[in-house]
Amino acid sequence: MSIRRMIRGRLTGMWALLAALALVLAACSPAGESGEEAAAGGEEGGATAGGGEPAEAGVFVHAADDEPLSLDPAQVEPGEGGETMILQSYERLLEIGPDGPELVPGLATEVPTDDNGLISEDGLTYTFPIREGVTFHDGTELTAEDVKYSWDRATEMDLPEGAAGLLADSIAETTVVDDSTFEVTINQPSASFLRSVVTAMVASVVSQDAVDANGGITAGEPNEYLQTNMVGTGPYRQTAWNRGENLQFEIFEDYWGEPANLDLRIEVVPDPDVRVLGLRAGEFDMIETDPSFVGDIEGADGVTIYSEGLLMEPIHIGFNLNIPEGELPPEDTIPADFFHDRRIRQAFNHAFDYNAFLQGALGGYGDFNPHYIPLGMFGADEQAPVYSEPNPDEAERLFREAGVWDQGFTISVIAEEANLFEIAALVLKDSLEALNPAFEVRVVALAEAQFDEAHASDPIPYAMWVKNADPFADPDAYMQAYIHPEGEWGQIHGFAQGYENPEEIATLIEQGATELDEATREQIYSELQTLLYEDPMWVIAAQEGIVNAHRDNVEGFVLNTLWPRPNVKFALFDKS
Amino acid sequence: MQIRDYVLRRLMILPLLVVGTSIIVFALTRVGGSPIGIYLSHEMNQAEVAQLEERFHLNDPLPVQYVYWVTGVLRGDLGWSGVAAAPVTEVFPAKLAASMELAVASAIVAVVLGVALGTYAGARRNRLPDHLTRIFSISGASMPLFWFAILLLIIFWVNLGWFPIGRSSPELFARIAHPTGLYTVDAVLSGDMTALLDALWHLTLPALTLGYGATAIIARMMRSSLVEELQEDYVDAARAKGLPERLVLRRHARRNALIPTVTVIGLTFGFLLQGTVVAEIIFRWPGLGRWMADAVLRGDQATIMAYVMFTSVLFLAVNLVVDVIYAYLDRRVVLGT
Repeated sequence: MSIRRMIRGRLTGMWALLAALALVLAACSPAGESGEEAAAGGEEGGATAGGGEPAEAGVFVHAADDEPLSLDPAQVEPGEGGETMILQSYERLLEIGPDGPELVPGLATEVPTDDNGLISEDGLTYTFPIREGVTFHDGTELTAEDVKYSWDRATEMDLPEGAAGLLADSIAETTVVDDSTFEVTINQPSASFLRSVVTAMVASVVSQDAVDANGGITAGEPNEYLQTNMVGTGPYRQTAWNRGENLQFEIFEDYWGEPANLDLRIEVVPDPDVRVLGLRAGEFDMIETDPSFVGDIEGADGVTIYSEGLLMEPIHIGFNLNIPEGELPPEDTIPADFFHDRRIRQAFNHAFDYNAFLQGALGGYGDFNPHYIPLGMFGADEQAPVYSEPNPDEAERLFREAGVWDQGFTISVIAEEANLFEIAALVLKDSLEALNPAFEVRVVALAEAQFDEAHASDPIPYAMWVKNADPFADPDAYMQAYIHPEGEWGQIHGFAQGYENPEEIATLIEQGATELDEATREQIYSELQTLLYEDPMWVIAAQEGIVNAHRDNVEGFVLNTLWPRPNVKFALFDKS
Repeated sequence: MQIRDYVLRRLMILPLLVVGTSIIVFALTRVGGSPIGIYLSHEMNQAEVAQLEERFHLNDPLPVQYVYWVTGVLRGDLGWSGVAAAPVTEVFPAKLAASMELAVASAIVAVVLGVALGTYAGARRNRLPDHLTRIFSISGASMPLFWFAILLLIIFWVNLGWFPIGRSSPELFARIAHPTGLYTVDAVLSGDMTALLDALWHLTLPALTLGYGATAIIARMMRSSLVEELQEDYVDAARAKGLPERLVLRRHARRNALIPTVTVIGLTFGFLLQGTVVAEIIFRWPGLGRWMADAVLRGDQATIMAYVMFTSVLFLAVNLVVDVIYAYLDRRVVLGT
């Protein structure tokens, strides 16, 4: 036999074998098997993946863009992926309802008000009647002791990456009156305590028995068990966390309320293109996405795009009024008190090309909010003046008045690389340099870890920076964090040195924090927003619009911007 | 020197090389500054940063930090991965197993395709089948891996639905034990045929993608080596003795042609292990490459240290194995000289 014939025969056999193997794999694959089962029960809606058909009946599959860092309410960072998981598996005394922002009872049976007598006359003591017959995922019964334990645990651990400060800063004492009654005494009357603190993920109730059996509480140290395991009372019980792949949840059969309709699997899919492909293939029922991918999804078979509402995390550019001497990059030419002059800050706000950022980076999905309450939040005054259009003439006038027009300046702004923040910095650069060639803006794009380290410095060794606000549920939280001259950022960034009247700003913020009458509170915030327009401490590039994409067969879809991203509770969903 | 003595000598030197590498790498990871960044969040203040530095011993002098790291390694603690939000020792084995599984599967594809194509082309030198085979194999090396991977995904996942993405069907993966971390092997050990098919089904696309890219190198080396060998006098002598052609090829020419090809296969495996990062990102394979890419981008020094030390040890071990195989294939090679 010739070599040729022999090799031909062998290769033919090899290719035939490979082809047969491929066919066997495709036909005998588990999806193939489930496809047969689903075809038999076609009304249930399951089918093989591919061709836009839903992949799995009985399971809701959501594709998240990042993996959580911790599943422990005492450790989870506000705005981080862990809050999404905690929202599904844990509960709090009160919740923001699906139609929010109104509060609804959670593990407490009533929302404390003056009318029902659950708020003391001095506004300092809140009484929460605890729901009976509630079971944790480990089978233990919920009592008021678990609530006190959960809150005290967070404050005792006081982890720097967590939000224990929300509890520690406002609460003077927690008391168990009896098994069904929990009492909280706060430091001062607060209009925001229920919405900002009680509904926050850090106030989630964990099983005391589970914690005690798994490492207990150590001040300053994370609990490794609760970092990776959730033991709450919510409609979903966590069954697995396959790192880098997915988190799996099953319907909690003993849930006290309306049970979930479907099991849940949250796939970790960092690549946005793969998320979009997976949605189109029917592999995912819902995905996290952003405006830049709407073009890839629009018109795809079986896909619905939901684009109402705005994220509660305005993208802002900060002014450093506390510039350390000799610490700025050598290229920067501005003096340390550059931003103390509010005309400079106003001029930056007038110069920024808002439409370029909104239409470009955000694809038109977004809006511009007043300083500093996001649109959609209680207290946001839609009549308040807002920086939303570039006004180069006004910017030039202000820069001239401030005496920097002719000499110009060079300034550095830091931002996280390869995301919206870097684009916002570039828009600022283009806006200012187009206004006056003597102005130079250096965009310093840093890796996330480097940016976080620079931003955590006190003072920050840069003149400006770009990031987004943390999401909150009450306007007071934004004011305290981003406006108050003596707030945490106010002190670090030196707001008191720039406000025309810092005492007036502080007084109004404190009044808004303690005013219990909503109409009066709204007026206070309206006045603040008008003042802050004239005395801005930020350039607010935009408030990003919400873009959610899911399969057409998803039923019961509801989204609330006051819930942690992606702003949904999966227990409410079903599939046709 | 006897092979056994040679291996023993190399194994005795290995720890010294590993310690030296660890000191160099540890120092390099600190050149860019404190690795605290990966553990920070946007809203932390200086006091909170100091708290984290104390937790991870990053406020201690560099030699003290190295001692903490070494004592941790000796206790089996490789530090905390900021990217994975878990101890490195907890995450590393599973991700390593996933990457090894993918690399081995890709290597099998590359070796089978490469040796077969190289042999086929080598026996038909400068004729049409030779040209076509070379075009096919070289195209694998020429195409950008990420582009090819996405193309396969669009065709076979999105449009046809023939193959999945990811490593496993979660329900099947969860129902078997994972003593080795290798899904295919664990499925066999569990006697679960459905899980084995699931593992192979998920492996197909990423292994084909990676393996095809490495095929060209092996095919080229095999082809040119075989062409040379088929022109040697001993081949003519074997034919003249009356040996069937298939035996001439199998017992003589191909064996000798494999000698340089094995070296290339060894190097290719290293390339495949490193190249898994793109395939892992595109195909959502929970392997080491993707984790490392994130770690480098985000400054996760604990993870980077673990990975560099692992690859150093692996590189030294693989080189030793290749040297021994070389000596076995070519009796003229004397080790230790």
